Amino acid sequence: MIRARWWGPFFAIGLALAVTSVALALGGYDVPQALGALWRGAFGSEQAIASFTLKRSVPLLLTGLAVALAFRAGIWNIGAEGQLYAGAVAGFTVGFVGGGLPAAVVIPAMLAASLVAGAAWAAFPTVMKLRGGTNEVITTLLLNFVAIHLTAWLIDGPLQEPQGVYNETAPLPESATLGTLWPGTDLHVGFALAVALAVVLWVVFRFTRVGFLIRAVGEGPEAARIAGRVDSGRLSAGVFLASGALAGLAGAVHVAGVDLALYPGLSQGWGYTAIAVALLARLNPLAVIATAIFFGAIQAGGTSMQRVAGVPLAWVNVIEAITVIGVLIAARGRSRSGGDAGAPEAA
Amino acid sequence: MRSFPVRLVAPGFLLALGLSACGESESACRDLSEAPFCVALLTAGPVSDAGWYAGAYEGLLQIEQRWGAQISHQQTRTASEYDEAFLAYGTEGYDLVFAHGSEYQDAAIRAGERFPETTFIVSGGGRIADNVVPLIFTLENGSYLAGMAAGGMTESGVVGMVGGVRIPPAEGVFLAFEAGVKAVRPDAEVLETWIGTWDDVAAAKEAVTSHISRGADVVVHNTDGASFGVFNAVREAADAGDPTWAIGMNRDQNDIAPEVTLGSAVIRIEDAFVEITEAWRDSEIGGAAYYAGGESEVVDFVANPAVMDRIPADLLARIDSMRTAIRSGDFDPPRVPFIEGEEGYEETGAGAGGG
Repeated sequence: MIRARWWGPFFAIGLALAVTSVALALGGYDVPQALGALWRGAFGSEQAIASFTLKRSVPLLLTGLAVALAFRAGIWNIGAEGQLYAGAVAGFTVGFVGGGLPAAVVIPAMLAASLVAGAAWAAFPTVMKLRGGTNEVITTLLLNFVAIHLTAWLIDGPLQEPQGVYNETAPLPESATLGTLWPGTDLHVGFALAVALAVVLWVVFRFTRVGFLIRAVGEGPEAARIAGRVDSGRLSAGVFLASGALAGLAGAVHVAGVDLALYPGLSQGWGYTAIAVALLARLNPLAVIATAIFFGAIQAGGTSMQRVAGVPLAWVNVIEAITVIGVLIAARGRSRSGGDAGAPEAA
Repeated sequence: MRSFPVRLVAPGFLLALGLSACGESESACRDLSEAPFCVALLTAGPVSDAGWYAGAYEGLLQIEQRWGAQISHQQTRTASEYDEAFLAYGTEGYDLVFAHGSEYQDAAIRAGERFPETTFIVSGGGRIADNVVPLIFTLENGSYLAGMAAGGMTESGVVGMVGGVRIPPAEGVFLAFEAGVKAVRPDAEVLETWIGTWDDVAAAKEAVTSHISRGADVVVHNTDGASFGVFNAVREAADAGDPTWAIGMNRDQNDIAPEVTLGSAVIRIEDAFVEITEAWRDSEIGGAAYYAGGESEVVDFVANPAVMDRIPADLLARIDSMRTAIRSGDFDPPRVPFIEGEEGYEETGAGAGGG
C-alpha cells in the first residue's frame, strides 16, 4: 500500500462522505441538501459550532477520557454509561438540596459528589475483578442497566417534581447550573473543564511515574510486577475507580450544563460511544478531544438533516453509524500503511 | 504526537472553521420559500407509531396543505436535544413550534424568553408564558360519554377501569368516566386498577381478568401499548361465553377487537393542531392554556359501527344530546386540575401524586 501522507485525512473524509451519500440516495433523499444540512448543522454558524457540536462533545469527551484511562491500564470498563447515570443523580441531588448556597460552594460540591458516585458505581466491579477474578466487561455492562432503571425509578418516585404529574424532577436552582463559556451560545464551562482534564491526563501519562506505571501494567501486569516491583492490583484498582469517577463527572456536568433537571434516559448512549471515541483516539487523551468533537459534529449535523432535509431519525442513526465506520476503516488503512498499527501507542 | 486521528480530525475541524467563517449566515425559513409562515414539530418518538406522534405529524401536514406553510419536523432523542431544537428553529425564524409532549415544557419556557417572536405550543404542558401555550386535550369530554355508554350497556352493574400510571390527567379521565356511568346507572359499582406503566400488556390483561371475575361486564382502559392486553382479556371472556365489552381510549380502537368493542373515546390530534393554528393566526392564543375539544370535535366518543345494532337507540340518543350539551358549554364533565392557574390547581401536589 502507498504510504499515505497529507491526503490521508481527506481520503477518510471523502470515503465517509461517499458512503453517506450512497445511503442517503438509497433512502430517496435529496443528497446535496442533506449533506449541506449535515455541514451547516455541525459547523455552519457560531451557534452550530458552539451550541450544537462543542456542547454535544462534552459528555463524549469526559466518558471518552474515562474509557481511555481504563483501557490504557488494560481494564475493560464498559460501564461508563452506568457511572455517568450515578454521577448525574448524585450531582443533581447535591445541587438540588444545596441550591440555596452560592455557586462557588454548590458547583464544586456537585462535581465532587458525581466523582464519588461514579467511582462508587465502579467499586463493585473493581472488587470483583481483583478479588474474585470476575470479568469486568460483564459486571460493568450489567451495572449500566441497573443504573439506568434505578434512575428512572428515582425520577418516577422520590425525586419526581413536586406536582407529581410529569416524569421529570424539579429544575435545578440557578446557582447549581453551569455558566456559559462562549457568550451568546449554549456552550457551558463544562467544555473547558473537560478539555483541561484531557490535558492533565495527557501530562500524567507522558511525564509522571504513575502514568508510566499505568502503561506498563496495561501492557503486561505480570512483567510490570516482576520488573518494577509494581503493586499492579492496587494500581489497577485506582485506575478503575478513577475511570468511574471521570464518567460520573460527565453525568453531573451534563445535568448542570445542559438538561438542568433529571429526565429518564438522560444519556444517548454516550458511555458506549465513548469506547469508539477513545479507540479512534488510540487512547491518547489529547486526541480524545478531537475525536469527541468529531462525534459531536456528526450528531449535530445528523440532527440538522432531520430539520432541513426531512431525513427521519432512524436514517440519521444509520448515517451516523456509517460515517463512523467509514472513518474507522480509513484510519485503519492509514495506520497500516504508516506502519504504526497494533497496540495503543504511548503518547 | 504521532497519533493518527488527531491528524485525521484536526485538519477537518480547522477546515470547517475556516469555511464556516466565509459561509452564508443562518437564513430565515421564510426567505427560502414563499410560505406565509413556518411551522415546526418536535416529537419524542417516531411519527410512524399510528398513535400519539402520528396524529401530530398528520396535523403538521394538514397545516402545510391548508395554508401552504413551510414545515419541518425533528424527533428528539433525549432531553439534551430540547434546547438545541428550539434554538435551531428559533434562530431560523420559525413562527410556530409544536412540542408534542409535556417533557418539553421547561425548555419551551426558556425558548420562549429567548425567541419572543416565536409561539411555542406544548401538548399536555402545564407551564405558561405569553408565547408558550399548553395545548390540553380535554379527553374527559369523550370519556364521560364513554362512561354513559358503559352505564347503559352493563347488565351486572359492575364496570371496570384499568389505567396506566396514576397521574392527575389520567385520574381526570377516569373521574369523568365514572360520572358518566353513574349518570345513566346511579347504582353501578366502578372498579379501578392502576398497573403503573403504559405498556405492560400482561399486567393490563391480568387487571381486566380480575375485574371480570368480580362481575364487571364493561371494561375501559387508559393505557398506551398495554391496551392490547385489555382487548385480549375481554375477547377471551366473551369467547368463553361471558358477554363482556371493552372501550377504547385516546384514538379510535374500534377495529382492534370489533366484535367486543363498544366504542372509543378519541382525541383527534390533527384537528386540534389545525384549530390552534387558526387561533394563533387570529392572535387569540397566548398567556393561557388552550383547551382543545371543549366546543369542537377534537375530542369525541365514537360508537363502534360493527356493534351499532346491539346498542339501544335511546342510549345513543342520550349520548348525542349530552355531546351537544358539552360542546355548547352547558355541561362540564369533572376533571382533575394540573395546569398552572387552572381552577382548583394547587402549587404543590394537585391530585394524588405520582407512583
